[in-house]
Amino acid sequence: MLQTTRQYTRTALMAAEVVLKEMAVDSFIMFTIVIQPLIIALLGLWMLRDRPDAAIYVVVGSGMSGLWSSMVFISGNSINAERWTGTLEMLVAMPTPLYVVTAGRNLAHVMQSLLSMIAAYAVASLFMGYALDIDHPLLFIPSLFFTVVAFISFGLIMAPIFILSPAVDQFKNGLEFPIFVLCGFLFPIALLPEWTTPFSYLLTPYWAARALHESAHGGGDVGVVLASWAILLLSTVIYVAVSRRLFRVILRRVREDGTLGLA
Amino acid sequence: MSIAIEVQNLRRVYRASTSILGREKKEIVAVSDVSFDIKQGELFGLLGPNGAGKTTTVKMLATLLIPTSGTATIAGYDVVHQAQKVRESIGFIFGGERGLYWRLSGEDNLRYFASLYRLDPSEAKKRIPYLIELVGLKGRENEKIEGYSRGMKQRLHIARTLLHDPDILFLDEPTIGLDPVGARELRSIVRDLQSEKKTILLTTHYMFEADALCDRIGVIKHGEIVALDTPQNLKQGVQDLSVIEMEVYGIGSEVLDKLRAQPHVDSVSLEDREQKQALVIQSSHGSEIVQDVINNLNGYRVERVVVREPTLEDAYVRLVGG
Amino acid sequence: MQRTTTQTGLLYTIISNLRMFYEGSRLSYIALFHWLRPSTYLASKIIMPLNQILFFTFLGEFSGQNTRDFYVIGNAVQMAAISGIYGVTMSIGGDRWAGTLPYLFGAPSSRLVMFLGRAFFHILDGAVGVIFGLVLGVLVLGLDLSQADPLLLLLAIIAATISSSGLGLLLGSVSLVTVNVWFFNNTLYFLLLLFSGANIARDDMPAWMVAVGDILPLTRSIEAARRVAAGGSFDDISGLLTVEVLLGLFYASFGFTFFRWIEFQARRRGTIDRM
Repeated sequence: MLQTTRQYTRTALMAAEVVLKEMAVDSFIMFTIVIQPLIIALLGLWMLRDRPDAAIYVVVGSGMSGLWSSMVFISGNSINAERWTGTLEMLVAMPTPLYVVTAGRNLAHVMQSLLSMIAAYAVASLFMGYALDIDHPLLFIPSLFFTVVAFISFGLIMAPIFILSPAVDQFKNGLEFPIFVLCGFLFPIALLPEWTTPFSYLLTPYWAARALHESAHGGGDVGVVLASWAILLLSTVIYVAVSRRLFRVILRRVREDGTLGLA
Repeated sequence: MSIAIEVQNLRRVYRASTSILGREKKEIVAVSDVSFDIKQGELFGLLGPNGAGKTTTVKMLATLLIPTSGTATIAGYDVVHQAQKVRESIGFIFGGERGLYWRLSGEDNLRYFASLYRLDPSEAKKRIPYLIELVGLKGRENEKIEGYSRGMKQRLHIARTLLHDPDILFLDEPTIGLDPVGARELRSIVRDLQSEKKTILLTTHYMFEADALCDRIGVIKHGEIVALDTPQNLKQGVQDLSVIEMEVYGIGSEVLDKLRAQPHVDSVSLEDREQKQALVIQSSHGSEIVQDVINNLNGYRVERVVVREPTLEDAYVRLVGG
Repeated sequence: MQRTTTQTGLLYTIISNLRMFYEGSRLSYIALFHWLRPSTYLASKIIMPLNQILFFTFLGEFSGQNTRDFYVIGNAVQMAAISGIYGVTMSIGGDRWAGTLPYLFGAPSSRLVMFLGRAFFHILDGAVGVIFGLVLGVLVLGLDLSQADPLLLLLAIIAATISSSGLGLLLGSVSLVTVNVWFFNNTLYFLLLLFSGANIARDDMPAWMVAVGDILPLTRSIEAARRVAAGGSFDDISGLLTVEVLLGLFYASFGFTFFRWIEFQARRRGTIDRM
């Protein structure tokens, strides 16, 4: 058991390393995790320039947008890329379960996309001279950690769906901005019509953004932050459980349909 | 000797939708009914034209496809219900360059796959240099795969599949697309594996390759095994034949049909070779019918008529039709 | 006799060019959406654009810098760039990815007709996109278009799609010889959000940003659309739209020149197959 866990951890880390080596210079990734969030950040900084706490708010919010875009575009793309290169088929026929590999790959994608926040931070503080203080670092750092973990496990649900059908790819354009709107990355959801609020509450990124905003520049309301952590953890547990089942069902399905490789 | 691979009435049907809306489904039978056993340490060849079902059969055995019906066990494990156990005991390559991480070096590829095959890092550290040496990639292991030639990639695949030292290997057209030198090197690696008593299932459509390597050969056609024997016995099966080869020019299919209708003609095939065509006729009456054939080609230019003994290729042609 | 032949020849040329224009534009559009399913169209041409409008409008509202209508109109007109930049680039660059470029260069037909044909449907499609955006604005975000003359609004929309498709034609030509096409296009699309005045009033911009906005498509049509919404007349927008269309034609002709240059280079060096 311990042996297996160690082995899987090692393989997952190696999968992460492979992703970083394979895609470090990919321009699509650079756009998704740096350029787009940065332009959103610049727009946000400019538009919210009259609000005192705007800078850190925008840095956190645009960073979240980068995390989410990377989740939607890069995780899916990376599965499809493996399909094109024929390595997906290899991975399925390996004795190591595919979810281990996927977890490692997601780790790489999520860590990589933290670059969004770092880049926005650098631009806002170095080039635009904003003072960027995180009000409650002891709350912020765990918030970031729980966010990363929740996003990685959410990716575990996306991956099998992409494996089942490359056509899911076509929906991804519709998954980006709605989440930006509903999850309060760059403006409070109080601006939205009231009937949308329950939908926001159902979305894990909303709680991630809530915890991060609250601890970076909000009141640092410990109750709010703790509640967000709890929800992030709960989501993680649910995602992992669901994804285990999804992987089983979907891998069986693609072996029945013969759709793993290219037609 | 015990049985390493046991295949019983394996069948695989693909369902493809023929219209965009996917309402009309068409069934394609890739493998209709295949049975064979492979003994431990045996090198078994699966021979057949493109689309005969070779790759589909191998993919079912490698746990990548679930059979529509029938069973297969590998080292005693069922390929559907004990897929995990099967995966630990087998190595496989699917011919061609795909299935590697191109932006990684050869060594990094092996390191990654070693961990996917659940090797300990210490074990992998010893095994990888040994395999790099074995497949003749020493000195190039730190280069990215994208710069490798086709042959190098194929050899890296061999190294990859030997990482966990499996007893059973599936080699699906390992020499496809290789130049003659590369193909010869690869065959010599296969021979070494054979001498290490690995059980090998090799698919190919090169007759001489199968003849040179295999202990036994199964010929597959339209998803069914039409012959299964040693290369010698398969050749024996066509000993009664002789083969007439002639160089001809400008022959169309109506002439071929006419020839096929002649008495004592077993099979007729025509192959384009630049401006010329090579006409190959199998017959149990050999030289006796040469004159008849030439009479039938009245009006066409005919050169270089040769009557020869049959080869494995002729046995194959007779089996899969021509 | 001679005269008649020339006339038939001319007529024939016109008809065949028209047919090619039609075929080219139809094909490019079908190629682009050959996977056209309701779900895809919904995701990339409706959900994404509309949510983008929502996102920037709420962000703008949160900032309190301008009225809600300011953001709705700006971002709705920006939708023209989706068809203009992505659609047109893909229909030009698509030949390269499909490997049909050598055939295209080898064809004896008029390059200009073919080239413009590829933009045509995207101009229409872009206009539809903007109208969708404005309808959403009225229905969901309370956009007030009661003062607007619909015909003038339509003019502004068409101008926006022409100018962004012009830029798309240039980008499409460039895409034939560059590797990072999408990086380039995506970046440009997002820079438009920053410089066109869709989200930041041009009065608030520093001079250099205003200057950049001046040479980009959309800037003038967004301004024109806002004037129409405020009850502006044809005279209020005619100057803006003229320049906007000219800008689009400039980009298109620049793109066409570049396209011919690439073709010439490819033939001279024999590199068509390698493109």
